[in-house]
Amino acid sequence: MMKTSAEVNLLLLLLVFTLHVKGMRYSPPGKPALTRCRSPEKETFTCWWESGSDGGLPTTHALFYRKENSEAVYECPDYRTAGENSCFFNKNNTSIWVSYNITVVASNALGSTFSDPVDIDVVYIVKPNHPEMVTVTVLEDKGWPFLRVSWEPPHKADTRSGWITLIYELRVKLEEENDWEMHLAGQQKMFNIFSLRSGGTYLVQVRCKPDHGFWSEWSSTSYIKVPDYIQREKPMWVLITCFCAFIFLILTWLLHMNGHSLKDFILPPVPGPKIRGFDKQLLKNGKSDEIFSSLVVSGFPPTTSPNCEDLLVEYLEVYVPEEQELMEESKDLHDICLKSEGCTSDSDSGRGSCDSHTLLMDKFREAKEEKRQRDQEKSRTGTEDQRQQKDWEEEGLTYAYEDMVSPNISSGRVKTWPSLFSPLPQYSSSRHNQKSSLEKAKKHCFSDSLFPPGSTSFSLDQGGQTTMEAIRSSNREFSLRIKQPHLLHSHTQARCQLQAHSEVNISSIGCKQALGGLRSPAPHSAEYVEVQRVNEENTVLLQPVESGHGHIDGCSQLPLGKDYSRVQGVDRYNRLLLKGEVPQEGDCLYDYQDMTGDRTENCYTSSSVPSIQKPTACIHTVIMGHDEMVLAENGYIDTLTARTLPNY
Amino acid sequence: MEKVVLLLSMLSLGVSSQPITDVQRLFSIAVSRVQHLHLLAQRLISDFESSLQTEEQRQLNKIFLQDSCNSDYIISPIDKHETQRSSVLKLLSISYRLVECWEFPSRSLSGGSAPRNQISRSLTELKRGIVLLITANQDGAEFFPESSPLQLAPYGNFYQGLGADESLRRTYELLACFKKDMHKVETYLTVAKCRLSPEANCTL
Repeated sequence: MMKTSAEVNLLLLLLVFTLHVKGMRYSPPGKPALTRCRSPEKETFTCWWESGSDGGLPTTHALFYRKENSEAVYECPDYRTAGENSCFFNKNNTSIWVSYNITVVASNALGSTFSDPVDIDVVYIVKPNHPEMVTVTVLEDKGWPFLRVSWEPPHKADTRSGWITLIYELRVKLEEENDWEMHLAGQQKMFNIFSLRSGGTYLVQVRCKPDHGFWSEWSSTSYIKVPDYIQREKPMWVLITCFCAFIFLILTWLLHMNGHSLKDFILPPVPGPKIRGFDKQLLKNGKSDEIFSSLVVSGFPPTTSPNCEDLLVEYLEVYVPEEQELMEESKDLHDICLKSEGCTSDSDSGRGSCDSHTLLMDKFREAKEEKRQRDQEKSRTGTEDQRQQKDWEEEGLTYAYEDMVSPNISSGRVKTWPSLFSPLPQYSSSRHNQKSSLEKAKKHCFSDSLFPPGSTSFSLDQGGQTTMEAIRSSNREFSLRIKQPHLLHSHTQARCQLQAHSEVNISSIGCKQALGGLRSPAPHSAEYVEVQRVNEENTVLLQPVESGHGHIDGCSQLPLGKDYSRVQGVDRYNRLLLKGEVPQEGDCLYDYQDMTGDRTENCYTSSSVPSIQKPTACIHTVIMGHDEMVLAENGYIDTLTARTLPNY
Repeated sequence: MEKVVLLLSMLSLGVSSQPITDVQRLFSIAVSRVQHLHLLAQRLISDFESSLQTEEQRQLNKIFLQDSCNSDYIISPIDKHETQRSSVLKLLSISYRLVECWEFPSRSLSGGSAPRNQISRSLTELKRGIVLLITANQDGAEFFPESSPLQLAPYGNFYQGLGADESLRRTYELLACFKKDMHKVETYLTVAKCRLSPEANCTL
C-alpha cells in the first residue's frame, strides 16, 4: 500500500512538473470530507464523502480506515456498491462495538489531501430503511369506522432474531390539511386510528428507528378514503324534530289551560230554538219572512191603550177534574206541595226554585200518571174532559204552568205548550237584566193569536217586572196549559206580549204552534179565566170566560159572570192567594206557590211596562211551577199544588 | 428488584411447570433493565460531552481511540454472525461477566441526576436476573463463572490509582465503555430471548 501511494505521488509530481513546464497552473486537490456513515441493519455500513476542489487535475479519492486497538490501515473494499464517493463495508468487514477511524484522501498529480478522520461505532450509526408494505384499511367498530394501518419492518433489518429492535412511528393527515398527526406505535406493526372525518381522504406514512439510532425515512404515502358514515342532514333533522315537539308540547299545554274559552271562541254553542211547536225548519230554510211571520203576533204592539180589563189573556185552561180526584189530588199534591214548601228560595234570586223543583215535577208526573190512569178508567167523554177541564176565572191571576216535562200527558187533562217552556236553565241567569227576565218571560207568552177567540185573556203588565223575576228561576219550567185553544180570548189586547227578544218570538211561535197543535186534539172545551180588573186592593179580579162547554165541578160553574176568586194577597211565602167567590159554593182558595219566591205576578193592565222592553205588558205568569192547579172545592182552579190556605 | 425476587421464588418452586413462560418473563425483565441502564449511560455521556468545551472534545476523541476499555478482555461476539452462532448459555454467561465487571467500578461514575450507587444497585439486580436465567437454562446446574473473582481486583485498582488530571479523560472513557458494554448486554439478552421465544418474529 505504501508503495502504491509512493508511486502515485511520483506520478503526480511528474504530472505537475510537466504541467508547470507547460505553464499551466494546477494545484493539489482540495480537502475532502466525510459527510456521513450509515448502517441500515447494524451489519453493514456505508460512508459518503465530499470531494474538495480538484485543482484542475483529475483526482482520485481513497478511503482508509483503522479499527480500534489495531494499527493496520485498510482501504475501502467497495467503492461502487453505494454509489459515487462512497465506501461500502460489507458484513465481513463490519464489526460491532468496534470503533472505526476513517479517513478519505483525495489525490491528483500534484498531491493528495487527507480529510479529517472520523470515528464511528456501527452501533450508533444505524439508520434503517423505511417500513415496507404499509397497508391501510377501513374497519368498523359498532358502526363507526376506523383506520387500521399495518406494515412490515424493512427487509434488511433482522428483527426476528432480535439483533435489532425497531420502534415505529406513523403520521396521518387529511388530504386538504397541512398538519400531520403523529402516533408512536412502539414495537408493534399495527395501529388503529379512530375519530375519522366522514368522507375524508387520509394520508398515512410510517417510519422506524432502532432503539439507539436514527429515524428512518418516511415510507411512501398511502391514501385511504373513509366512507360517509354520518348523515350530514341527520343532526339538523333531529334538531328540527325536537324543536317541533317542544312547540307542540307548549301548544298542547296552552290548549289544555285555555281549553274551555278557546272552545267557546271557536265553536260557540249554538242555541237552538227551544220553543215547543216552533218549526226549526223555518230557521234552517233561512227565510226570514217566514220566521218572523211565525213569531209575530198579530196585533202587537197594542195600539190601544191597554186597559186592565182589556188586556186579558186567556190562555189558561184550568182543568177541573172530578171533585174526588181533585181532592185526592189536592191531598196528594198538597202533601207534595207541603213537602216542597220547605224549599227556600231567595226573594230576589232568579234561581228561586228549589232543588226539589225537579223532584216535585217528578212526583207530579207520577201523580199525573196516576190521575190519568184513573181517568182512563172512567169513561171518557167530552163532558168528562170538560169536567176535568176547568177554566178558572179568578180575580187573582194565577197561572198554572205545568211542568214541561209532561207535555204529552194528555190531550186529556193537561194541555201544555210543550215547546214553549223549554227548560229555563238555558236562559241567562242575570237577574237584574231585563232582557234575561224577559227571556224567561217569554215562556209565558201568550199570543193573542194563539188564543181562540172568545176567551178572555189577561195580560201581565209589567208586573212584568215581578213577573220576570218570578219567572226568572233558571230551574223553572213553565208549561202552559191550554185547555181549549178555541176558548182563548182573541182579544187583541190579550195577547202574548212578546218581547222583542227573538227568543220570545220563538216562544211565541212555539206558543202558536203548540196551540195550533193543541187545537186539533182538543175536542173538549175549557173555560178560561179572565182577568177582569185589578182592584185597588191589588187583587186580580177574574171573570170566568163565557163558554158553554165547560162544566166544572165545584167552582167550575163559571160562565156567568162570577168572580172566581180574588187574589187575597200574597202570603209570606210569596204565594198568591186567590179567593174564589162563588155564590153556590164556598170560596175557593187556592194557593199557588210561587216557586220563584217572588211575589206572584199580577197582571196589570197598565200600559206602562217600565221594565219590559215592549210597551205591552207581558202576560202571564206566575207561577210556578210544576204545580198543577188543582181544583179546589169550588172547582175554579185546577192546579197541582192547589191547597187550601186559610184566609188571611 | 421485587420482580426478580418473585421470579426467583417462582423458579425455585417449579421450574418444570411452564418454564418457557417464566423464562420469557425473566428475559423480558432483564432486557428492560439493561435497556434502562443503557439509556442511563447514554444520558451520562451526553451530559458529560455537553459540559466539555470544543477543544477538550477533540482531545477526548483521540484519547478514546488510543485507550481501550477495561472489559476488552472479555471475548464477546462482535457481529451478528458470531452472535448467532453463540449459544444462549454462552450469551448469558458473557452478559453476566460484563455486568459483573461493571458492578463496582460503576460507583465511580459521575452520575448526572441519578445517585452514584443507583447504577451499581441496578447492575447487581441485573446480575441476579442473569444468574436466574442461566440456572433456568442449565436446568439446575450451578453456574460458576470461572474468572469472576480474578476480574474484580484489577478494575478496582485500575481506576482508583488515577489522579485528578486524568479524571476528565478517565471519566469519559469510563462512560463510553460503560455505554458500550450495556449495549452489548442488551443485544445479547435480546437475541437470547428471541431465540427462546416460541414466536418466530420475536415481537415483544
